[in-house]
Amino acid sequence: MDTHAALYQQGQARLEELRRLAPRHAQTLQDKMEEHGITRRDFMKWSAAVTAMLALPLPFSTLVAEAAELADRVPLIWLHMAECTGCSESLVRADTPNLDSLIFDHVSLEYHETLMAAAGWQAEENLEHALEAYKGNYLLAVEGAIPTANNGAFLTVGCKGHTGLEIIHHAAEGAAAIISVGTCASFGGVQAAAPNPTGAKGVDKVVNKTVVNLGGCPPSEKNIVGTLMYFIMFGKLPALDMFNRPKWAYGARVHDNCERRGRFDAGEFVEQFGDEGAKEGYCLYKVGCKGPYTYNNCPTERFNHHTSWPVLAGHGCMGCSEPNFWDDMADFEKPLGRQLLHGLDATADTVGAVILGATAVGIGAHAVASVFANSKED
Amino acid sequence: MATTNVPYERAFIFSAAIRIFHWLRALSILVLVITGFYIAWPFLVAPSNSDVLVQGWVRFAHLIFGFVLCAITLARAYLFFFSKSDIERRSFKDVTSVNSWIVQLKSYLWMGHLDKKGVYGPLQFVTYFAVSVIAALICITGLALYANVYHLGLGGMLADMAAWLTGAMGGLAQVRIWHHYFTWVFIIFVVIHVYMAVWTGIRFKHNSVDSIVSGYDYHPKKH
Repeated sequence: MDTHAALYQQGQARLEELRRLAPRHAQTLQDKMEEHGITRRDFMKWSAAVTAMLALPLPFSTLVAEAAELADRVPLIWLHMAECTGCSESLVRADTPNLDSLIFDHVSLEYHETLMAAAGWQAEENLEHALEAYKGNYLLAVEGAIPTANNGAFLTVGCKGHTGLEIIHHAAEGAAAIISVGTCASFGGVQAAAPNPTGAKGVDKVVNKTVVNLGGCPPSEKNIVGTLMYFIMFGKLPALDMFNRPKWAYGARVHDNCERRGRFDAGEFVEQFGDEGAKEGYCLYKVGCKGPYTYNNCPTERFNHHTSWPVLAGHGCMGCSEPNFWDDMADFEKPLGRQLLHGLDATADTVGAVILGATAVGIGAHAVASVFANSKED
Repeated sequence: MATTNVPYERAFIFSAAIRIFHWLRALSILVLVITGFYIAWPFLVAPSNSDVLVQGWVRFAHLIFGFVLCAITLARAYLFFFSKSDIERRSFKDVTSVNSWIVQLKSYLWMGHLDKKGVYGPLQFVTYFAVSVIAALICITGLALYANVYHLGLGGMLADMAAWLTGAMGGLAQVRIWHHYFTWVFIIFVVIHVYMAVWTGIRFKHNSVDSIVSGYDYHPKKH
């Protein structure tokens, strides 16, 4: 039996298991789709697209379709740490609800601070209940970095004043799988930028379990939903890269599939924003594109219903899905090789100090040496 | 006109392999530095026809000479340990001798002779060793970057190791920036190396610059 056949059977077994569980919503996915005017044909197209995106062969599209319908059997707990909610926005803020946002709605979302009606003590009770009732079964999604300095005191959430660190330790214990949604949860993000006074860290640095990192500020809705679908379908995590990012999404660099790549190889570069090259759609490398150092599928999946992405809009990639990107990728509008020239005067000052220092040492050494020196050996 | 006859002798110090590798390495460093800076900041204006891959060809030269540098770095490390002549290996004795360090440092300050057991003085030996380590590091980071450029053949075989290194270094941007910093080690080294080679030839009655061309060192007989 080849690996695909084995994976297919694993998926079937997993879905059979899920089907035996009680649905958490009264409405089926089909009802919801009809309500939103999404046709069966749209659904089939979506299933095939997700299958292709996950790099699975086409027969798996029936599994994807089944998994979407059974998404309401999988409890999902979504925690907000030190973050801006942009990742949730990426997922839910669609002008017309499409299947990606609908699936997110259909998943048995037990707790999500942005989307829940409850507040205060009631919200706290919901979280505690969900963590207890679905222990060992729930999927934990985390948005935002975990401040660790002063024992995590820089982030407290809820009426009981638990620190983010405490909440994440407690929630991670009973999780079937953990997904870090966005660069902050994955690698610390802007909160962890130097000098990082709050000691902000990615989730995988504070828990002892494998965490799937979905880098991106924000990650595209496709990468979030694709990862959810993979877990629902197979009950396990997809193949991961060196930073625990799913290979199907982060397997290639932005540079590799960029629509402006031909311009790069031809040496056609935008010299400054607004010039003739910019109007012609030339390569943005010289105005700081970090696509060559960034692993993501932005050029193929894009954002906002596949509408656009930064390079298409005329600004270089700033490497937002990479670890430590805020420090490593700055300046965003200059190439990496120019990083030494952050500040003109500061750089001139360093160069000046080195030149003058070397001169002083040189004069001193020569003066001392000339006392003893014979220009030629005897 | 009075002339004094000083008895000279010549010693064969650099084998053909060492000399060829030295100049091949010099050539690859020159090409790599120029093409490397070009890749970091492309300055040529693109031709009107986009079928001419300017960046592609510069990268081509960088990759070819990069492989040459990798090969030389390996071959030269092998030669150091297994060459028939032990003239390089002998220098290690000077490195472990405090007296040799003092002799060399003094000789650089115009005091005394430059006596050494092998072909290199201790400071020189340590410098060359450090440059060799940097050469290995720039080759390794270069190969990790290369594995992202071409995904079949050699690039494909290197993919897993490149991914491991990228993870260990904290991202491809870090690999790239260290590759860039290592370049500066070579630039600074070349300036000091050429200066010291010429200066040694002037200061001491030894061949210096031409021994890496001819292989011979002419010097007065020791008495």
